Formats: sequence, structure tokens, C-alpha cells
Amino acid sequence: MGKKILVVDDDPDVRLFTQAVLEENGFTPLMANNGEEGEQMVKRQKPDLIVLDILMPKESGIRLYRKLKTDKEFKDIPVVVLSGIAEKSFLRSQKVLTEFGGDPVPEPEAYMEKPVDGDVLAETIKKVIG
Amino acid sequence: MAKLLLIDDEEANVRVMAISLRSDGYDVVTAYSGEEGLDVYEKENPDIVVTDIKMPGMDGIDVLKAIKERNPESEVIIITGHGDIDNAIEALKYGASDFINKPVRDDALAVALERALEKLDIKRRLNEYTENLEKEVSKATQELRRQSHFMEKLILTSQEGIVATDKKMKVVIYNPSAEVILGYEPETVINKKRAMDLFPKEVMRLYVARKHDSKSIKKLQWREVQVRDKNGIQIPVRFTGTFLYEKNNIMGSVAFMQDLREIKRLEKELLRSERLATIGQTVAGMAHSVKNILHGFKGGNYLMEIGFKKDDTEKLKAGWDMIQKNIRQTSELVMDLLSFSKERPPEYEPCRPNDIARDVCEILKETAHEHNVRILKDLDPAIGQVRMDPRSVHNILMNLASNAVDACIFDENIDKSRRVILKTVLEENGVVRFEVKDNGVGMTPDVQEKIFTSFFSTKGHMGTGLGLLVTRKLIEEHNGTIDMQSEPNKGTTFIVRIPFERVEGNLVNTDKH
Repeated sequence: MGKKILVVDDDPDVRLFTQAVLEENGFTPLMANNGEEGEQMVKRQKPDLIVLDILMPKESGIRLYRKLKTDKEFKDIPVVVLSGIAEKSFLRSQKVLTEFGGDPVPEPEAYMEKPVDGDVLAETIKKVIG
Repeated sequence: MAKLLLIDDEEANVRVMAISLRSDGYDVVTAYSGEEGLDVYEKENPDIVVTDIKMPGMDGIDVLKAIKERNPESEVIIITGHGDIDNAIEALKYGASDFINKPVRDDALAVALERALEKLDIKRRLNEYTENLEKEVSKATQELRRQSHFMEKLILTSQEGIVATDKKMKVVIYNPSAEVILGYEPETVINKKRAMDLFPKEVMRLYVARKHDSKSIKKLQWREVQVRDKNGIQIPVRFTGTFLYEKNNIMGSVAFMQDLREIKRLEKELLRSERLATIGQTVAGMAHSVKNILHGFKGGNYLMEIGFKKDDTEKLKAGWDMIQKNIRQTSELVMDLLSFSKERPPEYEPCRPNDIARDVCEILKETAHEHNVRILKDLDPAIGQVRMDPRSVHNILMNLASNAVDACIFDENIDKSRRVILKTVLEENGVVRFEVKDNGVGMTPDVQEKIFTSFFSTKGHMGTGLGLLVTRKLIEEHNGTIDMQSEPNKGTTFIVRIPFERVEGNLVNTDKH
């Protein structure tokens, strides 16, 4: 069994794409539709890495990321953000939330702006989990 | 003191009567023949003449005639012989005030004199009144002239076009502003044309009755309508028309028009520049959509490569589907962008709005059915064939109805029976109202504020964020309006009003379906 990788994205095509990439590279993919589902999956499955989208209905990636990275139990799970949103915007929004009385959160282990080649995604994930 | 002239050829009679009348307080002058009587009349100008009828030379009737000729107002009392009715009647015919019989009794004479005096008094007062009245009338006339001059100036210089008619709707006032709007020369309109020759039927229908006696002087109802000028060119105006009543009878009508051409031109210019600005501003917003689409292509590409490598048709098919879906999204995005940035005046042609609504329902039925959403129709049969741009109407309804279906699909409340209603209503003044109503997720005030801004979408990867923007543009190009009511978890209703041109000679065709 390969390492468990959780994909959180509301776009079914993106899930299908990422799933194929993960399977091709010997990982075990887990799927979640939105931030809320993602959070439950993290708690239940304790994945080795999370591929996280940002703009999603229900809970957004920004909020889920903040929750995970400020949780003792989950803060060490590496997160690869895969989104149409620019990294700059993501970091700025985290900074704003921190200023509004949140705990500081580290930058994600990797940030990939769509569109991303399947092979590049696979390499990045491998690099992050080592 | 009243002055009396006594005429009788019998001197004794005259003397006796004079004494008695003087003691009654009259100023008495006397004469002993008709001729002498007239001389004295000229000299003394008495108030009342009392004359015997039978005299040599000029008799009483002659005296009466002569005096009445000089002054028709003078009072003449005739003294007749006993039983001389014929002469008495003759005298009355010539305008005698009264007659008394001989022998003259004091009391009879007194009564006759009193009557004559009363008549004189009434006449005098009447004269006074008449004189006064003439003065008043001339004063009022002057005031009226001043006022009407003022009114005339007011009408001439008014910025609003004014067209007033008599009760037969024939134009009597047509001011220069009306000429600017309608283009007809005043001499071809005033007393020549009727209001219905100047205004189209749907505008004539806007005339309202305002009864003179009704307490509520209602506020003028301004409506935006199109009138046609001399050359048949449509001109947008704000219009209000009223029938004028006097008591319960119609006495005419008046209509006011405000020229909206300049305002419309400015509005259009503003819209255009706003739209161009929106396009500029939102190239950045578009980047997100484009990135997602490109990522989709990469995904499809990746899956197909694996499929080919491993001869895995399932992967091939998944990849192909993904590519196709993203081709569709690309074309939607590009089409939306194009139709949003391009100006396209509506192409009016005869069409049936209800049929368009039916088509839209038919197209959406399948998707809706898959997600357990019912599509209901409530179409007003009074809307028949009208002149509109059927493509615009189709796009507007298609966009709003598919949004409504999506709003139901996104709704996660499984207890609800989800439905979308397409409603059409024929409104007054040549407007069709379209309502697209869903009982889906609804919108928070926050979302409601943003729905008409570009690249805002609650549909995640499924929307271009341009749909409502394009819809609104189409509606505005069609001189229509769009309104929206929404409540979270209750649903949303979009209300679109689109004016139409009537199909000539075929005003409202009842729907045959």
C-alpha cells in the first residue's frame, strides 16, 4: 500500500486528474468534495499528504489550511496547495486572518498554481514526502 | 323729490290735482295741451308724466308716443274716460306705465304714482348694476387677458412638449417643445390634427380621466413611452395625458411630454463606458477561469496519455470527456465575453414570447429531471405575436432558467420538492413581464449585491461569472428592466420586463396553443 494522499477539490475533473496522477505514481488517493468533507477525512484517515484546492463551497481551502496547521495533531501533515488562486493571494489572506487574531500559520510545503502538468505534480508530491 | 308733469285741457282739473299732489310732497309742473306738455317736458325733464287722453290737437296717446320716443325710460300715466277700455289698452300698447279712470280719485292716483316711482327706482338701480357690472367685467376681462397672456408665455416657453385638444380631441395647443419632439409644423397641427394623429394607440391609452370634482388631484402618472415623429422615427419620452372635465362633461385633453433622447443617449454612453471598464478590470478575474480550464485540458491530456500507453479505454474515455467539457467551457466563456463586449441592437421581428419560454423549458427539462427538479409553466394566453428580438429573449430566459435549475440542484435540503416556474404576463403599455422563480438555495444579501458584477460566480468551476452580466446587457439593449427578489433557503425570483413593438393590425393575437 502506497502512502495515503487526500485530494480536496470541488471540481470532479480535477479530482479525476489528480487521482490518476497519484495512482500512476503508486500512492493511495482519498477524495473529498470540499473543506468540510476534507476535515472529516483528515480526522478519520490521517493521510500522509494533502492536495488542497482553495476556492470551494462550504469550507474553503483557506480556512481548512488554517485549521490543520494550528492543530497539534495534524500540523505536521504536509499540504500541497493546487489552485487557480495565485500563491501571493493565498499568503496575503492568511496574513490578514492572522492579524485578525489568529495564530500564525507556516507557508504550505508546496504551492502549485493551475494549470499543472501531471508529472510535475507527481514530482512535487514525491519531493515533499521524501 | 320726484317731479311730476300734469297735462289736461281742463284747467280746473289740473289745478285741483296739482294742489293735492304738491301736498303729497311732489314737485308739480303743469301744461294745458299736448303741445305745451311736450315743451314743458323738454324744459323740466320730469320723472313722471300724468296726461289726460282726450285733448284737442295732440291727444294723450300722441303725447305718450312723443315722450317715449325722447326717453323710453320715462313713466307716463294716462287718464282715461270712464269705461274707455279701448283707449286704455292702446295706451298700454305704447308703453304707458298705468292708467286711471276719470273722475280721478286721489287714492287711485296715489297708487299709480307710487307704482311708477317704484318702477323708476328699480330702473335706476338696474342701471347702476349694469354700469357696475360693465366695470367689473372689463376689469375681469383685463385680468383674464393678463393671465391668459401669462399662460400662453408659459406654454410657449415650457421645456415640456404640450399638446392640448378640445373635446373632439382636435389639437388647439401645440407648443414649440412639442414641435421639437414630433417634428410637425404647428400650422399643420393646430385645428388640423387630432391627438390620435400624433400619438400611437398605446400612448393614447395612457390618457387618464381626472374629474374636476374629484377631491384627489392625483399625482401625474409619468410613463416612459415611444412616440413617432413626422418621419416615423421612434422618440423616447416621458408622457402624461389627462382628459379635462367641466362638471361631468369632457371639455378637452392635455398631454405633456419630456424629451428623453439626450438622457437615453447619455445613459447608453455611460453603459458602454462602464462595460468597457468592466472588461478591462476583469481580465484579471478571467485569469482564474482560464487557469481552471487549462488545468482541465492538462488533466484530460494526462488521462488520455495513460489510456494510450496502457490501452485502457476507460481512461481514454474519461480523458476525452474532460477535454470535451473544457472545450465547451472555453466556448461558453469566449461567447459570453464576446456578447458582453459587443454592442448589438435588438433585431425586432414577430415572435411569440410564450413559445420561446416553452422552448427554454424543453431544453432544460432533461437536466432538471436528472436532478429531480420540476419545471412548471404559467404562460399568459393574452400574449400573442409581438415584435421583439427572439434571440435576446431566448438567451435571457435560458440564462435565468438554467440559473434557477442550478439554484435548485445546489439546494441540499432533500425534503423540499424542488421546482422552477416560468411565468409570462402581458402588462399594460406594451410590456411583457417574464418571471423565473425557483425554490432553491436563494441568495444572501451579500451575494445579491454581487450578482451583476463580472466573474462573480457561486457555481465554482461550473460558471463563467458572466451570465447575469450578459443577461442584463441584453435586457437593457431591449429597453427592458430586471429586478430580483431572493431569500436564503427560500428561493429566488427574477423579474424581467421587456417592451415590445406591436405587430401592425394584429394587436394582440390570442395564443392558440
